[in-house]
Amino acid sequence: MLRREQNDLLTQTGPGTPGGALFRSYWIPALLAEELPENECPPVRVKLLSERLLAFRDTQGRNGLIDEFCAHRGVSLWFGRNEESGLRCPYHGWKYDVTGQCVEVPSEPAESGYCKRIKLKSYPLIERGGVLWTYMGAPEKQPPLPEFEFALVRSEQRYVAKRLQESNWLQALEGGIDSSHVSWLHRGELNSDPLFKGAKGNRYNLNDARPVFEVVESPGGLYIGARRNAEGGHYYWRITPWVMPSFTMIPPRGGHPVHGHFWIPIDDHNCWTWSFDYHSQRALTEAEVQAMRDGKGIYVKFEPGTYRPLANKDNDYLIDRVAQKAGTTFSGVAGIAMQDASLQESMGPIVDRAKENLVSTDNGIIMARHRMLKAIKAMEQGATPPGVDPAHQRVRSAAVILPPDQPFSDGAKEALAVRAGIAHATV
Amino acid sequence: MLSECARAATAEEARFRVDYPNSAPRRIKIIALDGPAERVVRELAQKNWNCATFMTTAAEGTSRSVRDWLSNLAGDAMNLLDQIGAADLVVTVSTTGEKADDATVIADACGIHNVMMTSLLINRASVPEPLLLETMRPLRAHASMLVVAKGEEYVEAMLTALRA
Repeated sequence: MLRREQNDLLTQTGPGTPGGALFRSYWIPALLAEELPENECPPVRVKLLSERLLAFRDTQGRNGLIDEFCAHRGVSLWFGRNEESGLRCPYHGWKYDVTGQCVEVPSEPAESGYCKRIKLKSYPLIERGGVLWTYMGAPEKQPPLPEFEFALVRSEQRYVAKRLQESNWLQALEGGIDSSHVSWLHRGELNSDPLFKGAKGNRYNLNDARPVFEVVESPGGLYIGARRNAEGGHYYWRITPWVMPSFTMIPPRGGHPVHGHFWIPIDDHNCWTWSFDYHSQRALTEAEVQAMRDGKGIYVKFEPGTYRPLANKDNDYLIDRVAQKAGTTFSGVAGIAMQDASLQESMGPIVDRAKENLVSTDNGIIMARHRMLKAIKAMEQGATPPGVDPAHQRVRSAAVILPPDQPFSDGAKEALAVRAGIAHATV
Repeated sequence: MLSECARAATAEEARFRVDYPNSAPRRIKIIALDGPAERVVRELAQKNWNCATFMTTAAEGTSRSVRDWLSNLAGDAMNLLDQIGAADLVVTVSTTGEKADDATVIADACGIHNVMMTSLLINRASVPEPLLLETMRPLRAHASMLVVAKGEEYVEAMLTALRA
């Protein structure tokens, strides 16, 4: 249960909101690098944290993220001409560079210097790991660039995608740190999905539907450990890191690549679900990449030409009641990603958490909310929130078998940190 | 025409959700396992709760039989099995560097009554890791959910979230 004012703090991320200030402390994914494929390519509309922006790549290959609308008459610069180191409004020819600085107002004498007085709001936009990241906070507090491992491996070791989710970001995040739903909602996929099946750990998952949990605070967020019975009295642990505000990594399964997510608010009713897969030691195989493109694992198929899932609320997520009854899928919705998204969207744009009834196994969610509320409060006194420091981002998920008397925080300590030349600990 | 899900998932439709209590309060017994945890529990007991009962394990030197193994905050002895049997959830609160062995006895009582035990361990920054692990040991063996929190304010946050 969360009081309404607390729910508002966490779910509202527009300009001037405390939750928005939290998100504006971090580098966040803004676009896929593929969305700006070449110099002078068409600009792309980007709505982030309830701000309408426009991304473009200029003649020199510099990326810019600027206010979408021309300062002159409020025309959308999406119609603009990307030419000669700037974006020109097609209405009256005003032109802007990647910093939002107006560099030309044709109707005014150049000598007047009028254009220098016009500047659109802009944010830095840098490429790292196939993602264009932006930082929307105060320039003097701009943190070092993100150092999540998936973004630093060679491009052939990584696959990144994004999809539209039509719910508040927090509903999506809370699904990502809720380990107990996997044995129910996704149980069909553990044996059939090409990016999940075959791992020995899957058997432990399916044989023990009542895991025991340990939640431990980390410098950047949390580690959430789910423990199930293994052979010889040992425990099979699946450990999910959460780094504030919205990064999670799914514990690995066998030799498959490791999956993870970011959830980034578009506005208070929609978010981008960013998904990545990577293997820290090898290139992804063609079969793996093809499976990801085909919507397997944590990915989806898209409506052509968009990042909106093909199965969406307008077609009832293509629910298949026969498959549900037969047990092929537990909810009737196909695919892990849409199984999660369909339920999270069904809660409404922003769920009323004053009505929920959390149980003890929801402590990962309770602690995540608590840490974010605490961070928001501390920011009012000038504190930097957890997860901004790149050291907090150098985390891994892990799947390990440990003796019963060894806590994962001790037994998997090394496995939960990025280690050069060493693969994820997995079962 | 909008699909079933498209229509149902709008903010407008959310206004028509049934506005009626959808749960009865759960009986939650919160038991402090050590001195610093008892201070936290005593402070929390001053606040308004739905159905939470705060208590401690009996002090060393008492008989520590099942009959007087627990104590309410006024110091009155309480029967362990009776209290656990009347609970929907048991929450133990302990502190790193202190002994948490009493969790074993509470867990046995929880086992008899099939009640879930959640353990909150307040991790004081000044306590070295070996002592953290030592305090964790009995909790890990028995708790269905173990939370290691850096601040004692999490106890209140968790109890509030659970509608205690």
